[in-house]
Amino acid sequence: MENEQQVLPRTILYVEDDPDIRAVAEIALVDVGGFTTAICESGAEAVERAPGFEPELILLDVMMPGMDGPTTMQALRKIDGLEAVPVIFMTARLQRSEIEEYRDLGAIGVIPKPFDPMTLSEQIAQILTDAAESNFR
Amino acid sequence: MALESTGKISSRLEVLRQRFLERAKEDIQQLRTLAEKTRRGEFSADGLLFCYQSLHRLSGSAGTFGLPELGEAAKALEKQLKVQAEELGALDDTVAHPVDIPAGFADGIDALAELVEVKSQAVEQAGSYTEEPATYKGSQGMQVSVLLVEKGDERLAMLEKEMAPYGFSFTSVNCDDAGALGNALAEVRGAAAILCRESALSDVMSLRNTSFEQSSRRRLPVICLGSDNSFHNRYRVAEAGAFAFFPDPVDIPELAERIESLAIERSANVQGRVLIVEDDAELAEHYCLVLQAAGIEAQAVSEPLHLMSNLADFEPDIVLMDVQIGEYSGVTLARLIRFEPRWLSLPIIYLSSEDDPENQLEALSKGADEFLMKPVSDSYLVRSVRIRCYRARQLSELMNRDSLTGLLKHSLIKEEVEKELARCRRSGERSCVVMLDLDHFKTVNDTWGHSQGDIVIRTLANLLRNRLRETDMIGRYGGEEFLVVLPECDVSSATELIRGIGESFSALFFVAGESSYQVTLSAGIAAINDFTNGEDALNAADQALYERKRGGRKGVTVYSSK
Repeated sequence: MENEQQVLPRTILYVEDDPDIRAVAEIALVDVGGFTTAICESGAEAVERAPGFEPELILLDVMMPGMDGPTTMQALRKIDGLEAVPVIFMTARLQRSEIEEYRDLGAIGVIPKPFDPMTLSEQIAQILTDAAESNFR
Repeated sequence: MALESTGKISSRLEVLRQRFLERAKEDIQQLRTLAEKTRRGEFSADGLLFCYQSLHRLSGSAGTFGLPELGEAAKALEKQLKVQAEELGALDDTVAHPVDIPAGFADGIDALAELVEVKSQAVEQAGSYTEEPATYKGSQGMQVSVLLVEKGDERLAMLEKEMAPYGFSFTSVNCDDAGALGNALAEVRGAAAILCRESALSDVMSLRNTSFEQSSRRRLPVICLGSDNSFHNRYRVAEAGAFAFFPDPVDIPELAERIESLAIERSANVQGRVLIVEDDAELAEHYCLVLQAAGIEAQAVSEPLHLMSNLADFEPDIVLMDVQIGEYSGVTLARLIRFEPRWLSLPIIYLSSEDDPENQLEALSKGADEFLMKPVSDSYLVRSVRIRCYRARQLSELMNRDSLTGLLKHSLIKEEVEKELARCRRSGERSCVVMLDLDHFKTVNDTWGHSQGDIVIRTLANLLRNRLRETDMIGRYGGEEFLVVLPECDVSSATELIRGIGESFSALFFVAGESSYQVTLSAGIAAINDFTNGEDALNAADQALYERKRGGRKGVTVYSSK
């Protein structure tokens, strides 16, 4: 395994409809985690901003009005250059069947809500490390 | 990774938290208005969908803003509406659709309102953000904090002075100031114990109990100091719920040791591993979430066919077993588990609505250890699972320790090497593994007898325990061979450390009858990070030890691949 730092992305596209959660996630990702982020309030906004932003990781809330998380993911996947960008879902209703479902869709992991702002970026790093390890095996 | 200071970040989070609280209050007010309608039977499908979405949002966000209890409560209510909301969501026209609200729903919403009120008051008092899972600080190298509750008695202040050299961090509060005690309890989350004089005991107990009532956290143990050491008085103190009693004059070293051991006990990060065998997926999920929220690792099995492989993979401390899992009987499954010798001592606890004592007895005789009655409240579940995990761990601790030295047994210390390697990969830290061996030990046994040999081994074990950090792992690898894992310690520090221990050890005189003798030790060190698996790291340390032995014993050799 290479040094973990090299696996970590620098840019994250984050989609969440709840303004309070967006604000706290921004602190968690930018100030605690040190990532560059594009923070969107809807799937539509994400699809619009993604091509210019070129995210290295996509973080999606599952339940959103309009385009939900999985739909947003499918739309983003159609954009040139984003076909293989890792996607992580965030959801409050964490059932095993659901995690499997998201994995089957191609997500590399799920972060349960509520999340802890001080350790969110560590959770992301952990999911990426786990995903990388399972690829190498 | 932090770019900004933690203080700055938490003050910004605090602002957001206040904003969230305001909004949550408004949301809950709206929910209450709607819930009031259910009491009058005027609830509409639209209302139900609105409540469902609003509760979903609360359940996903409240915990992030430090209100996990609110989040859990909202989640439970959300669940009550789930089936109907999903049905309604699939319909085009919901207006005329009848809705059926579970009894107690409106009361549940009212309870949310109380939770958010209580919480915002608590925030105003404490004024700090921290609602992260409690981390208890352990012994060596870390400061243990203790809460002193005074009630106009100078003896406690004296005690604080006398205890100072032990390096505890004391927080004093006056017993008559309930607010201050409440704050102190909230702030000194990582405290190991509460210390008080007997005169303040009843006040302290009731304050502690109310402040911990709402949460699933462990209650802080109360250590009581008093002048009356009679049986009747000690009985009274025990009855009040004190954890320990120290009569005057207080035995300071003994008290220090007691606090220390409480701190170690609380510092264990993972509080237990539970396998839940339950065919009701929703319920199993709920148990898992509740336990996980309390820091207990939980996994659910709904298909008994995979039970044995799940057991082997997860290695739980205890099993929670439903009495009936689909067509399978929990009683029979418990017996089946016991077919495998390694699970003979695994505690199996039944989750059962079976309140007929005859049937319970039957289940007990077939291999279950205890019953938990359904429905079981969340906090009761957490507390009972935690205590059972703790007991199970104590027991396995006994079984996993070498009886002569109290160190980890061969197979377990080897496991620690693998675990440490995995940790290093994740964290990028550098750690070492050390193989230690007593020089000419056979001569000691042959000359002075085996009982002398045992003394030498035990002495080295004690020396290692006293000189190494709490996070270091020490095992007895073979007869006179010891294995030590030093996390976050590079090769040069490890060399220096072990050399120092070796020098101290060889300076000791062992007395046998009229004469005395000295024993030296040799050590081999390898950097765990240089190897792809624990076995290789061990072999490297062993090879270094071998070279040390060939190079004249007494001292330390570091493995080099050349």
